[in-house]
Amino acid sequence: MAKELTQKAAWDRVLAKLKKNSLWMLHYCTGCGAIELPPTMTARYDMERFGIMPMVTPRQADILLITGYLSVKTLKRVILVYEQMQAPKYVVGFGSCTINGGMYWDSYSTIKSLDQYLPVEMYLAGCMPRPEAIIKGFTWLIDRVGKGEANSWRDYYENYEFYRKNQEELFGGPIQSYQDIPADAQKFGILEARQ
Amino acid sequence: MSTSMLLILPLAGFLTSLAAAWIVPASSKARASGTVQKFIAGIGFTALFVFAFLAKGEIGTGYLGIPLFGLWANFGLTQLSWYFVAMVAGITLVTVLFSLQGLRDDGRYSFYYVWLFSKTFGMLGVLLSADMLTFFIMWEVMSWCTYFLLQQGHEKAKRAGAGYLVYAVTAGMILLAGLLYMYFNVGSFDFRTIQAAFSGFDAGRIIVAMLLVLVPMLIEAAAYPVHWWLPSAYANAETGISAYLAAISTRIGIYGMTMFLFAGFGLTALNLVTANKYVSANEVLMIIGAFTMVVPTFTALFQHDAKELMTWHSIGQGGYMIVGIASSTTLGIAGGLFHVFNHMTYVSLILFSIAAVEYRTGTTNLNKLGGLIKKQPVAYLGLLFGIIGLAGIPPMNGFVSKWLIYRALILSGHPFIALAAFIATLGTILSVYKLIHNMFLGQLPERYNDIKEVGWGMRLPIIFMMAVVWLTGAFPGTVLAVVADIQQSLGLEPIAYSAHGVAAEMGQLNMLVINIVFIGGLFVSWLIYHAGGKRKHIGQYDNYAAGHFLDKSIPYNYNYNFYAGMDHIFERALHKPPVKRAEQALAAFVSGMSEYVRRIFTGNITTYAAYVVAAVVVILLVLGGGR
Amino acid sequence: MSTLSLVVWIIAYPIIIFCIGVLLGGYERKFSARVERRIGPSWIQPFYDVIKLMSKKTNVSHGYMHDVAILMLLGGTLLTLYFVPVPGFTYFSQFGDFLVISYLLLIPSLGMALGVGETANPNGSIGISRALQMLAGYEVPFILTFIGVAMKEQTTSMLDIIHIQQAGGFWAWGLIAHPLLGVAALIALQGMLNEKPFEVIVAPHEIATGPMTEMGGKYLGIMFIQHLIAVPLELTLYINLFLGGASSWLEYLVKLFVLWTALISVNMVFGRFRVDSAVKFMWKISLPLAALGVIGIMLNIA
Repeated sequence: MAKELTQKAAWDRVLAKLKKNSLWMLHYCTGCGAIELPPTMTARYDMERFGIMPMVTPRQADILLITGYLSVKTLKRVILVYEQMQAPKYVVGFGSCTINGGMYWDSYSTIKSLDQYLPVEMYLAGCMPRPEAIIKGFTWLIDRVGKGEANSWRDYYENYEFYRKNQEELFGGPIQSYQDIPADAQKFGILEARQ
Repeated sequence: MSTSMLLILPLAGFLTSLAAAWIVPASSKARASGTVQKFIAGIGFTALFVFAFLAKGEIGTGYLGIPLFGLWANFGLTQLSWYFVAMVAGITLVTVLFSLQGLRDDGRYSFYYVWLFSKTFGMLGVLLSADMLTFFIMWEVMSWCTYFLLQQGHEKAKRAGAGYLVYAVTAGMILLAGLLYMYFNVGSFDFRTIQAAFSGFDAGRIIVAMLLVLVPMLIEAAAYPVHWWLPSAYANAETGISAYLAAISTRIGIYGMTMFLFAGFGLTALNLVTANKYVSANEVLMIIGAFTMVVPTFTALFQHDAKELMTWHSIGQGGYMIVGIASSTTLGIAGGLFHVFNHMTYVSLILFSIAAVEYRTGTTNLNKLGGLIKKQPVAYLGLLFGIIGLAGIPPMNGFVSKWLIYRALILSGHPFIALAAFIATLGTILSVYKLIHNMFLGQLPERYNDIKEVGWGMRLPIIFMMAVVWLTGAFPGTVLAVVADIQQSLGLEPIAYSAHGVAAEMGQLNMLVINIVFIGGLFVSWLIYHAGGKRKHIGQYDNYAAGHFLDKSIPYNYNYNFYAGMDHIFERALHKPPVKRAEQALAAFVSGMSEYVRRIFTGNITTYAAYVVAAVVVILLVLGGGR
Repeated sequence: MSTLSLVVWIIAYPIIIFCIGVLLGGYERKFSARVERRIGPSWIQPFYDVIKLMSKKTNVSHGYMHDVAILMLLGGTLLTLYFVPVPGFTYFSQFGDFLVISYLLLIPSLGMALGVGETANPNGSIGISRALQMLAGYEVPFILTFIGVAMKEQTTSMLDIIHIQQAGGFWAWGLIAHPLLGVAALIALQGMLNEKPFEVIVAPHEIATGPMTEMGGKYLGIMFIQHLIAVPLELTLYINLFLGGASSWLEYLVKLFVLWTALISVNMVFGRFRVDSAVKFMWKISLPLAALGVIGIMLNIA
């Protein structure tokens, strides 16, 4: 019953319009960019009026914020957390470090381009982006979700070999706890279902 | 005829299994001895169960007199005693069936069935006795046989059994004093004569007789503050024995209490005593019951051995029965008597589940177990139904008896005792959740990865008791019918029951409607759940740990000191409980006195000669002084 | 009640209560936002949250007990809901009085506790341990207030208590006729609703939201639905016992929102008590108040 419903375009459009008002972000503060989040959440800029709330565990969250530089050691944990999250999920690269390495462009232990390892939905450039920029970015993301165009999470299932190859090259081998992504794609019918 | 079979069968069983235990040498053919005894036990207790139900037709008529040293030992069946007889026969049969597989045939327990038969004989004798002398004789037989049964175990069980014996013999001596007091005041042992005579006595004599008779009953029922023998005695016994003891053995005290209060002294005598202005006798009993409910239940919270936790609960549930019966109201007495049946069903179910776990894992230490739901789901379901019944949550049967008791207490103006009953329920919920969480939920330690479920010999009794707990919850009228008959036979107003609860004139309770609405609610939730998309099952190591990688080398579990907040609040009371301190002070005093007495025996012959001379002198003085 | 109107009520009742719960939840978030000089989310924000959670494509669970527990959670709350009388629908209340309701309220907690236990996460277990200790904390005074009311009116049926209050007018309301009991129950109600200062079972920064740690997708969605139904349910219990019940839906909604405003104002001002401080608060302040009220009732009639 659930599968047929989600394949109907009208139902999906209605759901998308409702879902966009309630995106929860995971409070995973990887680098210095996280300092701009408290002002955005508190009274002056008030992110909650868009329905965006910080949530504690990956199981509860929709948005994974990679705030700032991402060291190789942390990337292993970020992949663990990303795979624990439940679809649909949106990775937001926050700050210039995720786009091109930013201030740490010549460091040996940070990654230079996040979308080699995880499918990124949105980048927010800046070092670091101010709350006004964050709000502009999030409203753009909310619009995309409302139109049903925010589907980068599918890319992880469709092009899993690409991501996995990049991850293993970086780490020098598989990390301790990979989920079985192709089996999940099979079980939940992600590759066949429409958005 | 069935009544006499109820006494003959256990005696015959005792003799035959004793023969089996002795004739087949314990060391060489231990297995064979165990099998023969199990066979005898199975046949014997099934026959006993059949005769128990056949005896229902002989209530009030099947009197049996046995000549005994010039006096008569009279046995007969009343409504009240038949209720308990049926329960004893039923639960003993289920326990024996459970123990057919649960009791290992390794020769340690070669006399287990022997003493089980004899204890059943004692209990049935107490229940069937029709006069005071028979009651006392059978009471002593029962106490001693319980002691022997408790000795079938390891060292700690033996010492705990000795503790039980001290309390039981004390109770027996007080009962003997009561027996003699009644005989010298009334001139006969028969209950009906005693009842007729006591309605003419003054309050003082009634109070003395009541004290002498009720205190032993309260000791046997493990009321506060004479409850210390129960946890160590029952918890250290083999788990199959624990189930049997906790389920019905202490309730003989409740039978005695009910019988003496309503059939022994009778209603007119009770009214004489209850006419006191400040506090009446039944209020004193209710206060004892209230303490019994609250204090052991909160002690159970902090135990870390599964069986000790459950035996502490057994004491607490006994408090409910004492409160219900002592309230002397229709609802209360019905609730208290029904609670005896309910308690039997779910406590035995819980202890069977714990036995199943112990059979496979070898431990009942709550700090070491965990996650067994994946390996022993049937034991888990049994424990779940048992704890829902124990906590008195609808739709299981525990709720109905608790509802009756609450209503009785509220409507008769005892709010604080009703509050104590409710506090006991809350304490029960806390501690049974700890029990099920530490045993079955949480992380599965690696050493239990290969545990299997127990065999069908143990699964079937668990499933059967689960069905009993649920069905008597949905249709309590089946048991309430018997309770109403008992109330009528005692001269009290019977409870207005219906097939599925209590009828409207006594406050309506309809368990069937509750069950149906619950199933409807579950169905609606399932529809919502199903609309939510597919799900996959994941293992315990795929868990939120703040980004940390989990594997079997990391203990990721919260078992130890499960209620840390409560521990903080009750710190002082826990580590030095006042009753334990009083008991230890008494034990120290007695051993000090014995030390002085020991010094009389110096081993020196001249001292003894001096004692003899002194004794002769004293005797001459006494005899001479009389002239 | 005719069979047709009964069937309609049975189907519509939980939906109506759910909508009221959504409005109460949105009102709480708007209110707390305004107190903090923010704008706050939309008035029906909890509805968006539930839709988002239920429409997740992948759901994970730790085992069959986890699944069944969620059903027990919502099923138990729905079960309790039917026995609480509201204006116009009191059919089931005749089969179960307040004692039944207070025990039925334990089924959802037990169900969730079992499911959280299966998730094998110590954060969840700690959350459940705290939730159960809080239960022992607030239930004791709450039950004592009910025992007092039942003893005074010599009935345990909620319908009778509502009728007595409505027959006597404003001065027969529980809060006015036995004020000590009403105030004690109000403090206990704050604990029952898990509003600050008794919000310790969630504690997001300390134990990762406690019982909700491993719940996601439709599991968290059903937990949210249960919360949105449980809040009006518990407020209705208090209204029926101490605020005179309600004879029309307008009066009922007004009383709900006034009571809820009072409770969430307290919520905004306090921090979170530690679990043993919260239990001690309940037993040292709310319980003696209730006990004094009960003794007062006993002296009046004894």
